[in-house]
Amino acid sequence: MSATRRGAPVQSATADREIVISRVIDAPRELVFEAFTEVQHLSRWWGPEGFSTTTQSFEFRVGGEWDFVMHGPDGTDYTEWICWTEIAPPERIALLHGESRGDPNAFESVLTFERDGAATRIEMRTVFRTKELRDDAVEKYHAIEGGQQTLSNLAAYLAEIVAKGAER
Amino acid sequence: MMAAMARAATTSDVFNAIAEPQRRDILVLLRAGERPVTELARELEMAQPRASKHLRVLREVGLVRDRKAGKQRRYRLAADGLRPVHEWTGGFERFWDESFDRLDAYVQDLKQARQEE
Repeated sequence: MSATRRGAPVQSATADREIVISRVIDAPRELVFEAFTEVQHLSRWWGPEGFSTTTQSFEFRVGGEWDFVMHGPDGTDYTEWICWTEIAPPERIALLHGESRGDPNAFESVLTFERDGAATRIEMRTVFRTKELRDDAVEKYHAIEGGQQTLSNLAAYLAEIVAKGAER
Repeated sequence: MMAAMARAATTSDVFNAIAEPQRRDILVLLRAGERPVTELARELEMAQPRASKHLRVLREVGLVRDRKAGKQRRYRLAADGLRPVHEWTGGFERFWDESFDRLDAYVQDLKQARQEE
């Protein structure tokens, strides 16, 4: 078995503290962009299946804010705060995401919308100030999703996977 | 695990490392504590060179650590190495991946509605 790294990606300077998520959606770019600009759209899709939102205030402009509560399927509420720092229709949206205004752990996400034939490629790049904040966000969203798995439980989790594998 | 980061070579990837059932068996045994390769091989009824090879893969991806204790080399679980699996199974990335699933469905409805107008 060779340990040679074939085609290992060149890591950017921020690789260990960023998360990049991308998706191709079969719709024109203007339409996909629009789904990010109005609360009646955002409230229809924000969060995984089973989540809903209640909006306190929403103002889609640079410097504007979205104050809302996210309701998890288990009934837990999470206060959320978004502030837009850049809006360039229909190409780019940059926003700060935290739990409330002035959240010291707020992080910036940049959404880009690119034409991909008749479809649109969305890329969301979130860069955390430190690797620790990135890891914290992963942990927090784990909790939000009801997974409640912390790293300390991983060994047990792994054992479950193995047990399930053995049942098959 | 970042979507933009293509999986590197097979053995340097924690996902590939735990895809092999015998390597998962080794990790489960190591939950109970540090073990030398001889014990692991005996319990799993595998030849020692094979167990050593698995341990080498697990060490390379950061799932086990080893130390010399006298004449023996003892191996222990490094659960932190499972972080990429942890992240993949949930967390920020999955939150957004699932949000984008809903966004996709919503935009398709929107597209349909606009076409009917």
